[in-house]
Parts: sequence; structure tokens; C-alpha cells
Amino acid sequence: MHIALTAEGTYPHQFGGVSVWCDQLVRGLPECDFSMVALVATGTEPVRWELPANLTSLTAIPLWGPPPPPPPGSRWLRPRTGPPVRELIEVLLAPPDEEQDTFGDVLREMFAYAQYGNLSAALASEDSVRLLSEAWRHRWPDPDLAAPTLQDAVTAVQLLEHALRPLAHPPPRADVVHAVTNGLGALPALAAKWRYGTPIVVTEHGMYMREHYLHSRQDPFRWPVKQLYLQFLRRLCVLGYHEAAVITPGNVYNKRWEAQLGADLDRVRTVYNGVNPADFPAFDSEPDVPTISWAGRVDPIKDLESLLRAFVIVRRELPKARLRIFGSPPAGREAYLARCQALAKELRVAEAVTFEGRVPEIRDAYAAGQVVVLCSITEGFPYTLIEAMTCGRPCVATDVGGVTEAVGDTGLVVPPRRPAELARACLTLLRDADMRKRLGDAARLRALEYFTVDRAISAFDEIYMFLGAGKPLPVATSVDVLATTPAAAPGGPPAGGPGGGQPAEPPVPAAAGPVAAAPAAAVPAESGPGEQVPVMTGPGRPLPADGVPADEVPADEVPAGQVLASQVLASQVPAAQVQLAPVPDEPAAPESELEPGPAGSPPLEAAG
Amino acid sequence: MSAGDIRIQLPGRPEADADTVVIPKLRSIAGTQTVPPLTVAALCDEFGPVCESAVDPLEIASALEFDGMSDQTVRDRYGYSDVFALANEMYIQVPRQPAEPPPPPDPWQVSRWQPLLHSLLYGLPAICFPAAAALLAGPGLHPALITALLTAWAVSQGLATLGYLRLGRTTDRGQAKRLLRAGLLAGMLIVIAAMAGVAMFAHALLPVLIFGAGEGAYMLGACVLLVLGAERWLLPVLAPGVAGSAVFLALGRPPELQHIAWYSLAATALLALVAALLVTRNKRPAPGRLFVAAELRNAVPAAVFGLVAAGLLAFPVIAGADGHGGINVGALLATLPLSLSMGAAEWSLLAYRRRTRHLLRTTQDLRVFGRGARMVLGLAMGQYLVATVVLTAIAAWIAITTGLVHPGPDLLPELGVYLALGCAMFLALALQALGIRAVPLVASAAALAFEMAWRELGLVSQLAACVGLLIVLGAYAAVALGAAVRHAF
Repeated sequence: MHIALTAEGTYPHQFGGVSVWCDQLVRGLPECDFSMVALVATGTEPVRWELPANLTSLTAIPLWGPPPPPPPGSRWLRPRTGPPVRELIEVLLAPPDEEQDTFGDVLREMFAYAQYGNLSAALASEDSVRLLSEAWRHRWPDPDLAAPTLQDAVTAVQLLEHALRPLAHPPPRADVVHAVTNGLGALPALAAKWRYGTPIVVTEHGMYMREHYLHSRQDPFRWPVKQLYLQFLRRLCVLGYHEAAVITPGNVYNKRWEAQLGADLDRVRTVYNGVNPADFPAFDSEPDVPTISWAGRVDPIKDLESLLRAFVIVRRELPKARLRIFGSPPAGREAYLARCQALAKELRVAEAVTFEGRVPEIRDAYAAGQVVVLCSITEGFPYTLIEAMTCGRPCVATDVGGVTEAVGDTGLVVPPRRPAELARACLTLLRDADMRKRLGDAARLRALEYFTVDRAISAFDEIYMFLGAGKPLPVATSVDVLATTPAAAPGGPPAGGPGGGQPAEPPVPAAAGPVAAAPAAAVPAESGPGEQVPVMTGPGRPLPADGVPADEVPADEVPAGQVLASQVLASQVPAAQVQLAPVPDEPAAPESELEPGPAGSPPLEAAG
Repeated sequence: MSAGDIRIQLPGRPEADADTVVIPKLRSIAGTQTVPPLTVAALCDEFGPVCESAVDPLEIASALEFDGMSDQTVRDRYGYSDVFALANEMYIQVPRQPAEPPPPPDPWQVSRWQPLLHSLLYGLPAICFPAAAALLAGPGLHPALITALLTAWAVSQGLATLGYLRLGRTTDRGQAKRLLRAGLLAGMLIVIAAMAGVAMFAHALLPVLIFGAGEGAYMLGACVLLVLGAERWLLPVLAPGVAGSAVFLALGRPPELQHIAWYSLAATALLALVAALLVTRNKRPAPGRLFVAAELRNAVPAAVFGLVAAGLLAFPVIAGADGHGGINVGALLATLPLSLSMGAAEWSLLAYRRRTRHLLRTTQDLRVFGRGARMVLGLAMGQYLVATVVLTAIAAWIAITTGLVHPGPDLLPELGVYLALGCAMFLALALQALGIRAVPLVASAAALAFEMAWRELGLVSQLAACVGLLIVLGAYAAVALGAAVRHAF
């Protein structure tokens, strides 16, 4: 069995949750051959992972830097008709819920053209600029409202040119092609399907489109460009879902977005991330002092400030209580750590709060607390939680992203950014050793049943088997079993779904309901440093250490009570943009490849 | 049950209990505790900027979720079925009124002194030639000097291109530094090999060869420093050579100071190498491949252009050689204003790019843009021409009053040639800066070939070639640089 993995800005050139997951997948299925098609920014990225023996090929497709060389002979055997640029522009300017079929056809024609003609040259051409600027002039509703300029037209056609570069590469040849991110990362998968009829699996750990919406606010583009490019990405995601044989979100919460984007829910199978239980054996003791432990990347989206404020209340009730914070800030964003430390002083709890930095063994961070807290304002499916659960530590977590799915009824879930609620939940656990024991044991059972690497890998093994053999997946496995009771088999092997099919989704307390959340991206710093890196940001953009926009907003500028999302808007031009600008040459040096590098696309996240 | 309430009943503890203990004191501590507003209208208000610039309801939904809003909260508080339904309503209620993004920084806005500094950096080394004149004698002098000049120009142009390409591709300056350091060493090897070749075939003397290698060292070192934006290092590098030469020349070339002048020149060449090596130090080994084939492919035309440009510039030295093994100081000095004018070219080019950038951002019609772009190009040419005329006049006046050059009947046509060549080079730079490499290269090579073929005509062939080149490049630029897509940034 040969599987082609395709992705944007992650394995094997970056660290982060999705990369950890890819590595686990490839190593977990040694009997399969894998090839990897990785969209990268410039091609200068080093391979950061030791590649497993069954990863037989690695193709890096740079979206920036020099355009791909045109296919041999394309200069002389120029295709008689150009690529459907006009049609692409028309469909991107149409309302988002119309003409999606046309978009699929246009993209397919683009692919056919790119295989024998020079698509990059045709897209980033004066003709394209003319078509777009004229289409805009005819359709723009209000000339006084953010009317598009020629600069916008040039920027937009260049963004499209860079985004569509993967179409010019030979499609991967495999039994199944597995896009581990949607959006641009799915382009090589679409090409494989169009060329060879290869079935596609689309996996999403974080929601590609949601990340891009959030990130678009930091981009320096004017509204017409933002609108056109987001419409392009949205249609591309919809196309990805449409062409996929199976869609496997990393949590049920993501499924809501997939449904909004037109995914056929019959084809959705949730496959949770997992940890290796051998790495997280149960603790047989807990610290004597009432201690709250926190582990992760020290970062504004983790909302350590609420934790510190909550801890003030905890200390008032339990004067001996301690708070131990494990993890370090991403490079270049140390200010947040300093602010948290200052806040601890200001709140007069500094002597009871320790910032311990990274620990070599993340397990030790969970061992350090009687209770493990996750207080983020946004998460995907956080490793911190399932790791702590596997160790048998009771958790208090905020109700964001896939958290309620992870915790179920084995921990306490509170709303985000409510120190009082957080404190109350922590106090409840710190005061009640029996409850800690009970919830901790239940958490471990839950994690061993639902969130193990083996379970995730066997789910994909099965999907590959069915798709590779040209069979549809068994219907019985498609049922969401949110309401069912867990069939917890203490210490037993992961239980399969009915008929050995897809593992069922774990039960979640009904009270939590379908949970909402925000852009995910939670990987505890220790379990997977760094994050997935967007490659449509252009060279010169500092690689974000986190996939979430708010991180880039210096929180000092955050007026209390203002929504985070609007801070993003208010934030300055990202530093990236300054660097994106070409270096003004000294006259002697031609500018050549100093790419315009606009393209701010966003990170896909690395969901936990 | 409001969204602010804890949703899971904590076993064994009545909710009210915890609340009464905690909440009153909390208000003073918990500054960031936020509760979503009660009405959709208030929510629209709070999310105003998001809604006004949203391209579709999903964008609003992503912002709501990012703020911690869950489907449950939406149902409890606003009565919509989920976040998406609420976002849809907000998209309808708030009309589109996207805010303009803050104006991006103008990449062509540089310090007003930078072009002036560059002017000096390009021009000052020319003063070293007359100081070294006594060194430069014997057989094979011209082949040696020409070879050194051509090799150093070609290699430094190629190296600069490689460096800029790498800097544009990655944020990791370490990679660019490593590349430039390797390129510097390889370039020095090429220069030394070229000098060795000259020694073998033209029997040039050792002082001449050392002078040629020193010239190469300075040019390559300066190139590395410029690419990395460390040109301030060039002033101390140039100081000994330029000061030594200036004093030596000002004192009327006293023979007893000859050696000191030479050592000061050697110090400048060595310092340039040392500074370049220091600036390209890497604390950690840089990752990634050292050379990338695509970058090398792009650097080759640049190197060839450097070769051709050096040939065009040095032509009078070749054609004007009197055949007695001496050096044509006048012809070399004539290149000084041209070197100085490269600073003016940089300044005009930056002004050109600032203006076309503004034009692109304020125009909606391609035809309007094309007309405007041509006017802006003409303006930039005029700007360059005026600056160069002034510089040339000053240089000529100094050279004549100090007796370095004796004005002959050829002086004016010679200056005319250099003005035409300067303008042509300016156009070539503008074309290259906007990504057109082949045309300036081919046209310049043709002009050089013409000069060489008719070199017995001397000044006439040079004048014809340079004016022809100017016309061809001018006509081409007027058309090609009118395309909006060329001015992407």
C-alpha cells in the first residue's frame, strides 16, 4: 500500500502538532510506503525530522522564490488557448454560495494547463491584471468604498499565481492520497485525483479556513485583495471537502465548520489525536502541598493572566497553595512571560508562583500538580489535556475547541476568561482528595480508551485499506455517538467501533453540548515545539511560533475588556510585512527574485 | 443559566457558596474578566470593525469563536441556534465599511544620505589609481588591469545577486552570510587565478599583479558589505587608501612617500577582506544548502552584465592606451564622475520606484498607469542626468585645476560619451531592478562588441555605441516599464 501525504508548512520541515502527528502516522504503519508532498515557503527550509525508512520520497514545493520551471517544450509548444484566468476571476467575484461547480472545473483546467504550459507566467501577467482590474471596475458596487486599485489587481494575481504553483508539479502517484491540511495543502491531492483517480482523505487538525479568516486581519492587503483571496481559499476548501472520499477532523468541534463549508457529513469520520500510553504511565502519588500545575507555551492565547487572578482567590482559601507554570515563551515573544511575572508580583502571589521554564520530561510537569489546569481562550484538541489525563491527573480546563470532547465528564470545564469560575473549580479539586482520585482514574481510563496513538493509527489503517481497495467505508462507523455511554474497559485495549470499524467518538457530557471555540493551535511547548508554519506568507516573514494571530498582538496594547479579535484588527502592520518588502538594491544588483511576497496567509494551525 | 456560570455542577459543593465567597473580592482583582454584551446590537457594536470588514459571515463567526463565544452561549444569551447563525445576523445588521489598512512602509524610502554615501563609496577608490601609477608599469600592464577590473566586476555582480536572492528568500541572515562568505572566497580564488593567468600569458610584473588582486579584494569585500547593509564599515576600510593617496597626490607625488602610499592602498584592500569576513561570521552553522541551482542560474546573467558594463566603462583605457606601457590617467579619471554618478543613479532609481509605487496605488486604469509610468521614467532620467552633469563638471574642474588632466579638444565629446553611457547604465539598472535582465545584457554586449570591432575609430565608435545603447534601452524601457505587473512592489 502506498500513501501520499500532502501538507502545507508542516512535516518534515517544521516542528509542531501536525508534524508530530505525521511522524506518528508514518512510523505507526511500517507496512505502508509513504511519500510526502510538502508545500514550503521558499525551499530553503531544512528538513528537521529524521525521516522514517518507510517514507520513501519527499517532494518540497516552494510557493515563493523563483517560479517552477515551465515544463519542457512549453515555450515552443505553447498551448493554443491560455488558462481560464477570466473564468477564475469571474467565479471568485461571484457570491460565495454560487458557481462552486464552475470553480472546480476552472481549477481542473488550470491543472491541465499547468502540466504542459507555463501557468505561473500566464497568471502573473499584464493580461491577468487587465482582466481583474476591468472586472472589478464593472462590478464594484460603490466607487467610494475601498475601490480596487491597480496595485490591488497586481497583488491579487500574484497571490493566485503563488497559491496555484503546486498544480505545475507532477501529481503524486499512490493508492491513497492523504491531505493532512485542507486548502493549498490539498492541491497536490486534487491533482492526483484528477490525473489518476486516486481517492483523497482530508484531515484537519485545526480549521484551515478559520485560521485564514483570523489571519487575514493582520495582512497588509486592502479589502478587495482580502476578499478575493479569502474567497479563493474558501472555494478551495469547499472543493477539498467535495472531492474527498473521507474527511477526518481531529475533533467533533471542527465538524461544525466543515458542515458550514458544505462538507458532506456522511463522509466525516472524527479521528482524535493520541498519545503513547507508555510515555505517560499513571502516577502513584501526588505532591503533598496543594499545587496547581500548568504546562504549555507561555503565550497570550493561553491566558495565564486569568490563571494568576484565579490563583489569588485559591490562595485566599488555601494559603499553602502553589502554582507551578511549566513552559517557555516562543522566541521573540518573551514580553508576555515578563508581564505574567509582573502580574504575579502585583497580585502579591509571586512567592507562591514559580515559572519553571521548559522541562525535559513533560510528564514531570503533570506530576508536579495535584491538579492540571488548561486555561486557554482558544484550543484545538490539546495534547496537554490528553497527556495529563493519561497520567491520571484531574484537570480543570476552559471550554474551548475540542476540550469538552477530551475531558468529557472526567474533569471540570469552565468558561474561558473567568478567573472566579476557574478558582472555584480548582478549589473544589484541591480540597477534595477523593474527587481528585476519582476523576484522575476516570480521566486515565477515558484517555486510554479514546486518545491513544494506536487507536488513531488503526483508524487510518482501516481507512487506507478500504479506500485503497476501492471500497466505501462501512456505514455503521459514520455514526456520531456523542450521547452514548463510554464502554470503559479498565486498562484494556482500545475498543473498536461496531464491526471492527471506525472507533466511536467518545461521549461528552450533554451539558457541554456542541462546543464552540476558536482557532486551535495548542501543542504544549514541550510535546512539540513550534508550530505549523504558513507558507503563503512569503519569504522574509518571520515564522510564527504559533499559528494564532492574537499571539502577535502585544497584549500591552490590549484595552481591558476589548475583544481579542478586534485587537487583531487594531494591531500594527506585522513586522513581517516590512521584511517582505524587497531590499532596495544598490544599483549594481538587479532586483530579480526579491519576491513581492505579499501573501499573508495564515497559519494553519497545528492542532494538538 | 447565563454564560458566565459554570456549567458542570461541582459535586458536593453548592454553586452559590463559591460565588458568595469569591465574587465581591474578585471585582477588584480580575480586571480582564469579560462578559459578552446582552444584546446582538451591543455585540455588533463591540465587533464593529470585524463586521465592517468581514468578507462573509464566516469571518465574523471565526472572530466570535476566537473571543471565546460558544454555541451554548449564543443559544443562552442571544437565542440563535449557533455561532454561525449569530454571525449571519451580524453580517446583515452591520453594513460593509472596511477600514483602510495602515499604509505599508515604502520600501524605497531610504535615508537621504544613503545615496550620497554610496556615491562616495563608489567614487573614492578611483583616486587610488593615480597614486599607484608608478607601480603600474612594465609588460602586460593593460591586460592585467583590464583582467582585474573585468573579473572583479563580473564576480561581484554575480555575488551581489546571489546574496540578494538569498536574503529575499529567507529570514535567516545566517544562510546569506554563509553564502556570501563562500562566494567571497571563491571570488578571490577566481581573481587570483585570473592574475596568475595574466602573469603566465602576458608576463605582467608582480606589483601589477598584486595591485590587480588588491583591487579584486576591495571590490568583492565592498560588495559583501553592501549586500548585508554594512556599508558603514567601508568608510574605515577606505580611509587608509584614500587618505594615503590624497596626501600623496596633494604633495605632488614625492618619491620618498611612494611606499607609504602603496602600503596604505594595500591596507585598504586587506581591510575590505577582513571586514567582509568579520561581517559574515556565523555564531551557529547555518542550515540548508549552500548553493541553490536556481539562484546560480540567475546570478550568471548578472555576472555577465557586470563583465560587459566593466568593458564599456574601461574601453577608453583600452582604446586610449598609448602603447608605451604607461597608464592613461585622464581616461581613468573620466570614469570617476561616472562612478560618483552611480550614487545619483541609485537616488533617481529610488525616486522612480517611489513614484511608480504611488501611481500604482492611486490608479485604476492600465492606460493611465502606462502614460504616467513613462513620464515618471523620463523624470528620473532627467534627474540623473542633471546630477551627473553637475558631478562631472566638478570632477573635470578639479582635475584640470590640479593639473591631473590637460583639457584637449576631445574633452567635451569624452564627457558626452560618459553621459550617454551613464544614462544607458541607469536604464539598464531600472530594467534589471524590475526583473528584466536579458534585454539590457544583450544590448550592452552588442554595444561593447561594436566598440571593440571599430576600436580604431576610438572616440567615434564609443560615442556611436553608447548613444545607440541609450536609444535602444530607452525605447524598450518606455514600453516594458509601462506594464503594471512589472511594478509589483
